[in-house]
Amino acid sequence: MATATLPLRLLPSKTLTLTTLPSARRSLSVSAVEPRRWRLRAAAEESPEAVEVEFVEAEEEPAVPEPVEAQLAAAGAGKDADIFAVVMVGWLPLIGSRQYIVMPGRYIYTQRLKGANVNDQIILNKVLLVSTREKAYIGMPVVTNAAVHAVVEEQGRDDKVIVFKFKKKKKYQRKLGHRQPNTRLRITGISGYEEYPADPILDPAAA
Amino acid sequence: MDYMEGGKLFRRSSNWKMNKGKIFKLAKGFRGRAKNCIRIARERVEKALQYSYRDRHNKKRDMRSLWIERINSGTRLHGVNYGKFMHGLMKENIQLNRKVLSELSMHEPYSFKALVDVSRTSFPGNRPVKKEGLAAIL
Repeated sequence: MATATLPLRLLPSKTLTLTTLPSARRSLSVSAVEPRRWRLRAAAEESPEAVEVEFVEAEEEPAVPEPVEAQLAAAGAGKDADIFAVVMVGWLPLIGSRQYIVMPGRYIYTQRLKGANVNDQIILNKVLLVSTREKAYIGMPVVTNAAVHAVVEEQGRDDKVIVFKFKKKKKYQRKLGHRQPNTRLRITGISGYEEYPADPILDPAAA
Repeated sequence: MDYMEGGKLFRRSSNWKMNKGKIFKLAKGFRGRAKNCIRIARERVEKALQYSYRDRHNKKRDMRSLWIERINSGTRLHGVNYGKFMHGLMKENIQLNRKVLSELSMHEPYSFKALVDVSRTSFPGNRPVKKEGLAAIL
């Protein structure tokens, strides 16, 4: 497999489309204190205890919910590692570029990377933040020598948007379909951040 | 490019029958006769496409203000408000954008707290965190 370091300066895109969440990432903030209604209806003697315990927990920890990684490890998901990074992809003049939260094993959709074929290895150099279970490496602005390794999975296009311009009473309308090219990258690993000065993250047991 | 002079793409008499299927496909889920009757559906679909054009631009503004709201609420839990937090980050030359910061404040609270601490050391002047005060309110 060819190892290519792509230049980060890409051709400017026509439309500044938003990415909301990276594709594979679900909303992971499960609240630990969901009232379980089936329990309240079942045994009468159990219900007051269950409700009280849950309320007490909610009051004590409003500001610091369980971190995502701890919840996932408890749930038994083996796919996510204990690390994530924020990486900046691309560069548009005067505008900047998009930032993505990446975790190894997941994929992200970026603007089409010209000259990248399927199964190319890519190194993304602009890493703004790396965070593990114990430490957060906050880049100012970039974590030096950190790199995110990715593999190009697919070069496809976004869903079609219909661009329709209309001026009423002036007999002016234009209709145009548009599909923005994109690239799917599978993140394989994050490296090179160890020597950077880090801020310790509070241990959830101690907090 | 798929446009007609005079702007009669939808209403040209020769296209009256050809476009019906496309119009009804775009009119799925509309209310009342706007999904069944071509004359009404045509108007509603035109309006819907205009709204989607306008709102693709509005969505970017709305998302940014949503991110700012979320960052604000996340930092206020730690006793810092949004303006001072962002000022502290800019002073430290941290270039995380608001989308990422709002995601961190929701899903990665410990990393977010580290960021708030960095901002607070760089730009002091926020009230210190009073855990007793927050718990008393709740």
